[in-house]
Amino acid sequence: MAQQIKAAAIWLLLMFQSTASVIGERTRDKMYEPILGASCFRRLNGTHQTGCSSTFSGSVGVLHLINIDADLEFLLTSPPSPPYAPMIPPHLFTRANLLRLKEAGPKIISVVLLINRSKIEQFSHELNCPNQYSGLKLNNSTETATCDAKKVTNTWNRWGTGLLHEDFPFPIYYIADPEEIDKLEKCFIKFNDFDYESHALRSLCAVEIKSFMSAAVNSEVCMRRTNFINNLGGSKYCDPLEGRNVYATLYPRSPTENVDINTDEKFIIVSCRLDTTSMFDGLGLGAMDSLQSLAILTQVAHMLHILLPSQNTLTDPKRNVLFVAFNGESYDYIGSQRFVYDMENLAFPTRSTRTTPISFDNIEFMLDIGTLDDIGNIKLHTLTSTLLAKQLLQQLNRYAKSSRYGFNVNFESNVGYHIPPTSAQSFLRRDEKFPALILNALPNNRFYHSIYDDVDNVAFIYANTSQDYTKLADVNDMKNISVNSLQMKVRNVSSIVAMALYETLTGKQYQGNQVANPLLADEFFYCFLLSSDCPLFKASSYLNSPPGVPLPPMRYISVLGGSQESSGWTYRLFGYLLSHQEPSVPKENCTQLPLYYFAGLNDTGECRRTTQNYTHALSPAFLIEDYDWRSGQYSTWTESTWSQFSARIFLRPSNVHEITILSIGIVVFIISFCLIYIISSRWEVLFEDLPASNAALPMPTAC
Amino acid sequence: MDISKAPNPRKLQLCRIYFLTGFAFLPFVWAVNVCWFFEEAFRKPPYTEQTQIKRYVIYSAIGTFIWTIALITWIILFQANRAAWGATADYISFIIPLGVP
Repeated sequence: MAQQIKAAAIWLLLMFQSTASVIGERTRDKMYEPILGASCFRRLNGTHQTGCSSTFSGSVGVLHLINIDADLEFLLTSPPSPPYAPMIPPHLFTRANLLRLKEAGPKIISVVLLINRSKIEQFSHELNCPNQYSGLKLNNSTETATCDAKKVTNTWNRWGTGLLHEDFPFPIYYIADPEEIDKLEKCFIKFNDFDYESHALRSLCAVEIKSFMSAAVNSEVCMRRTNFINNLGGSKYCDPLEGRNVYATLYPRSPTENVDINTDEKFIIVSCRLDTTSMFDGLGLGAMDSLQSLAILTQVAHMLHILLPSQNTLTDPKRNVLFVAFNGESYDYIGSQRFVYDMENLAFPTRSTRTTPISFDNIEFMLDIGTLDDIGNIKLHTLTSTLLAKQLLQQLNRYAKSSRYGFNVNFESNVGYHIPPTSAQSFLRRDEKFPALILNALPNNRFYHSIYDDVDNVAFIYANTSQDYTKLADVNDMKNISVNSLQMKVRNVSSIVAMALYETLTGKQYQGNQVANPLLADEFFYCFLLSSDCPLFKASSYLNSPPGVPLPPMRYISVLGGSQESSGWTYRLFGYLLSHQEPSVPKENCTQLPLYYFAGLNDTGECRRTTQNYTHALSPAFLIEDYDWRSGQYSTWTESTWSQFSARIFLRPSNVHEITILSIGIVVFIISFCLIYIISSRWEVLFEDLPASNAALPMPTAC
Repeated sequence: MDISKAPNPRKLQLCRIYFLTGFAFLPFVWAVNVCWFFEEAFRKPPYTEQTQIKRYVIYSAIGTFIWTIALITWIILFQANRAAWGATADYISFIIPLGVP
């Protein structure tokens, strides 16, 4: 009995012990610690590949924190235990340093980590001349005539490093989260940051990055392989950059089955860029480089929509305004090139809209809103001096300098080939006489096309007033927003442009006191820079549709099946802000476009007649059969496919350790072979008592 | 099939069929023929059909050898030049490796 109790007690003890100390964690999870970040990836054009890729099974490098240039020097000249993974703060992430790392090769530098640190002076990965090899060209030159890369100070992005257009033999990972950076630093200090001579002899904290890219060489090669008939695996190598342009007309166009051009119809195009880009997947808001112009376009459209009387009371009742936001402009003007191509082929708007096609003969002029870094000093660029440009400049300046409004903006004319890299270049390239006018300020954005072109770069502070932003505001009513704020600057420029266009369309000077509402800009920037779950997006969605995610929409053009968030929101926004309410139509009948049921300002629901639509932003290079990829005529950008992005840290054993383990394994393997051989040849000695396995069986008779 | 139990004319017939089949661009059949009939042709005590079997085995061995040389040459040539040949190399490939030229 006593023994039984004793046994039971031991069992109980064991059970308690097991519940207390057994951890069901996998060995793998104990070995590795995942790191959150954003990866650089590979893009290709007609001639090159750019970006980064890891090796197939993941690149591994020993962590090394770079604080000063000398640390980098140490890694490059006398690395004790390569390959290394330098953790580089932004101020050392320069072109010169990165090219040195590239030159060292993946045997010495296998991974580069960019860690987010205190703010820096400048950080732009775009070229000095954005879209250098597309746009307006002269005399069969391969480079654009509108920017001279040799005179850096006179380029459109003089802080540009061009790293976005370099090809790196190692993966680059951006780590923004301070906690993750802390994890990396702690691991580095604990295991690596002492006694560098013995690095080769001990275990070191290392990082493994998986970001393997399928495509290689250039778009021609990867598209050929993707479309290849023998491609048994069905594997995709790359996808063309592809998205949607968003457009809307000021007045609805009458539906017709007629497919001929209506030459009476006249359009003024007001356009801007919809997209932006950065080196890292899913990051980059493009606050200054393109969001400002989209905000201005939206406000101009909204103000004109409210101010203008019905179309038949205009001086020319066949006039209309076409607002277009072009997608993929960061990658050799994908959206505008396609738009021009479609217009030439009378394929814009698409047949499904049941409207007559618009040709170049229908275009009166184009006003393109470029980057407005210095929003108080704007230039009106044209190729040649025209009456139209002079007139518009005069109008703009009249409103800009009027004491009545106190906008305090200065417009200047700039004639010649030095025009900014905006969508208008695609139009001018087709025909230099095309009446394109470009509003652009002197380049002053030190973070052009980078992860740091964000809320702070434009100094945006959300006022969050919860007031009505759909009505125009009185010029003296600042809505409690500071005079020097982004909202007010956008209000001023939008109002001036809208007033000038008002005058062009009606033939009368604008006399009112109503100007664009700074609250609309406030809500606009909040949605696009901070959170898609915002009042403006909610009002422009279908009634009771689920709210947007509390993150700003992605504004990179991406590929087919990509997020397309920003074009979607812009589409709904144009729909809401440029439509007329139809109070007589009940919700049940408000289902077919152009009628759309919006949630509206107070979530009450309202039926509105909309004018907005999409056009396809896919470069014509992918439509034309046997297109010459090296011709430089159209954008050829593609994005490589990949299976995963991941990063994790672990302790990498030293080479000596690894070799010892392997050698022991081989020795054990050989010994076991010998042992088995000896046992099987001497089995009678070992298994004397046992009968032979075949003893019971008679020998088979030979036939 | 245990060839040792087959009568000699049957062996000869099999060996000939294997030899002839090899001409249909099937060098492996020749290789199998060589391995399979090597004992019969060279190790067994002489019998009437053996000289013919011997001949087929030798011819099959020569065929296998030529094929091996040709294949090795082609594989080395192709692997070394795949990237340089560009589109042509892609068109004659079934599986194109990922992430390399």
